[in-house]
Amino acid sequence: MSLQRQDHVVDELTVAGHRRRGPGPPVVCVHGAGVSSRELLPFAEVLGERHDAWAIDLPGFGASGKPDRPLILPALADVVAAWVEEAGLERPCLLGVSFGCQVVVDVAVRHPEVAAALVLAGPTVDPRGRSPWRLAGQWLRNAPGESPRMMPLNVADYRDAGLRTVLAAFGESIRDRIEDKLPLVTVPALVIRGSRDRMVPQAWAEEVTRLLPYGRLAVMDGLPHMTPYRDPRRVAGTVAGFLSEVAA
Amino acid sequence: MKPGRVVASFDSATGMLRALSRFLHGRDVPLIGQGPAAAEPLAAALSGAANRLPRGLKERAYAASGWAEAVPLRQVGGIRSGALARWVTGHYPHRRSDVAFVGSANGAMIHLCAALGAPWLPQTLLIPVRRHGVHPDEPREDLRRTREAGQALVTANPDLVLHQMHDANQDRLMIAGMSYFRVKWRRLPAAYRHYLERTLAPGATLVVVDCELRWPVTRAGPRHVYQHGAPGGATPEEYEDGGPRVADYLRRYGSPHRRWDYPAADGESPEAEWGFEPGLLPDLRELAARNGWRLARMSFAEPEHVSPVVADLYREWYRRRGLPADRLLAECFLLLEPWWTLRSGSVPYWMVFNTEPSRASLTGYLDGADPFEEIRLLLFSHGVESVGLATIGQWRETLARAGKVGVFTGVDTRAYPRDFAGLARAHRELARIRATVPMPLPMKWETAEKFLADRDELRWGTEEPTAAPGLDGRPGR
Repeated sequence: MSLQRQDHVVDELTVAGHRRRGPGPPVVCVHGAGVSSRELLPFAEVLGERHDAWAIDLPGFGASGKPDRPLILPALADVVAAWVEEAGLERPCLLGVSFGCQVVVDVAVRHPEVAAALVLAGPTVDPRGRSPWRLAGQWLRNAPGESPRMMPLNVADYRDAGLRTVLAAFGESIRDRIEDKLPLVTVPALVIRGSRDRMVPQAWAEEVTRLLPYGRLAVMDGLPHMTPYRDPRRVAGTVAGFLSEVAA
Repeated sequence: MKPGRVVASFDSATGMLRALSRFLHGRDVPLIGQGPAAAEPLAAALSGAANRLPRGLKERAYAASGWAEAVPLRQVGGIRSGALARWVTGHYPHRRSDVAFVGSANGAMIHLCAALGAPWLPQTLLIPVRRHGVHPDEPREDLRRTREAGQALVTANPDLVLHQMHDANQDRLMIAGMSYFRVKWRRLPAAYRHYLERTLAPGATLVVVDCELRWPVTRAGPRHVYQHGAPGGATPEEYEDGGPRVADYLRRYGSPHRRWDYPAADGESPEAEWGFEPGLLPDLRELAARNGWRLARMSFAEPEHVSPVVADLYREWYRRRGLPADRLLAECFLLLEPWWTLRSGSVPYWMVFNTEPSRASLTGYLDGADPFEEIRLLLFSHGVESVGLATIGQWRETLARAGKVGVFTGVDTRAYPRDFAGLARAHRELARIRATVPMPLPMKWETAEKFLADRDELRWGTEEPTAAPGLDGRPGR
């Protein structure tokens, strides 16, 4: 069995989802700024061997419905929380990638009943790099380490979302102060950082873990920012290991 | 020759001397104290690129770096111990202290000194000596070629004992073009005497750091012993008689030998790098008595026995200051950072080397200690997949003992144990830590001494001054 498309309607907006229904508890993957679930499908495919794995498109991105104007971060988080209920999932693990980490952390602190655990893969934005220029510089420095096959996916995603929505998402990621919310996360959380991630410095990944009351850091050797795309199997193994520890 | 050129830079004693003296000057240790902080980014980038070179080239670079800093054989007789001692004391700031340390090199003891704001004078220094054309697995030939230079050195310096050391396991690359001459003072050099008299007031304490570790040797001449291997991954028996691990190692390195041909051992001697030569004691007693100092002797069986003691001392100190005390900094060999240890609120645990026994000592400490939320590991890379080396996978298991953050610091895990960049990156990455705490005032010596005297890992002996200050010629007991 491989990935299947399953859409739900939340607040009159279609939220596109891809699911591979493995035996373990549910994991919902939330993508980064401007992109969509496209980059997470290979990972969801592998994770679905062991877990009920989902990769969803946030409203405005990928195959999901387009709101009249780009949603702000708390609105995106509210949609994710409502989607979890609509999809009938029982306290899933929310897995964010890059800006997706900011979304799932917002869900965890404003809807504490929704998630049983968090995985933050490449959590943005380091407060010390919180400016459009720095972010752009980091993005450029990180790019050579990413898989070249990811580039066409990114281009398709940006085209789907449109320039306004993409820029709005980056703007939200810069405005959000994730460091103030991390201490309020009451569930176990795994932080994943690729050792060659130029967008998430090691010291910031450590700080994120330190701020989380039940945080744990996993550094993945040789991987860039988009760890789940670059090495889906290794990341899925780490996530599954973490979730079995949490369940125990 | 300048003393700074004679003594090896990449050695435990000099590395520790630099780390501690820089700390006492209020500074940290970028580039293991060997270059300006401004050069660190470039050095890290270049050495990181060098890590990608083919293995053969990297091994040659290790050998060349050792050879480059070694003293030509014919100049060994011209070395004078007095100049070496002046060079050592010249590292330290001029400051009064109520305690000073002298004797064995030990990373945990360096943290003890840093906590107290106290200096340490090494008994042992390493003089690398150039010599060509000896296969690393043929120690007899090494001794034959260098015996004369050794004799010249001890004849010119009656206050020194030469502990020549040949470790074909861990120093394989370095000994291709040089021989390790470790010299120990058996008489207190004048520069040490003057320095201590300027530093310690009457009633102060002079602590003798007495590592009792001994190792098999061959007597090569008066005050000249030749040590068979060194502590680390292999046992004294493996150096002496070989064994499956040694044979496998030699096969992997393409050696024509399957064991080493050390000359017959005819005794044991204080271990060349870490051991304390007790011949120095009478001079220290006499000096302490003459100046009205207490003489304390901190004895321990093996170098790493001090590590848990100092780790616990730091932990208690942090807790007294109301700090979390839940970070551990595991350090290796000469990769030491006393300044950042304190600024990051870390408990220091020093390991002799990157081997299985050192890892076992660290995990043993973790077994008995309250859990740590964060564990950082510095790993020294010596370029050789030597017998008893702990692998990256094994170190990862140890790091997994951390509650939240268990990370390598400045280690290129793909290049290890041929990681040049570690020397530049260890400090660089450590200095990036975001959660810092203020530098404390020095710990009180009475507090530390009480703590140390109560620990089973150490034997603590004190000799109170028997003569009034200023009276000469009354050696104490």
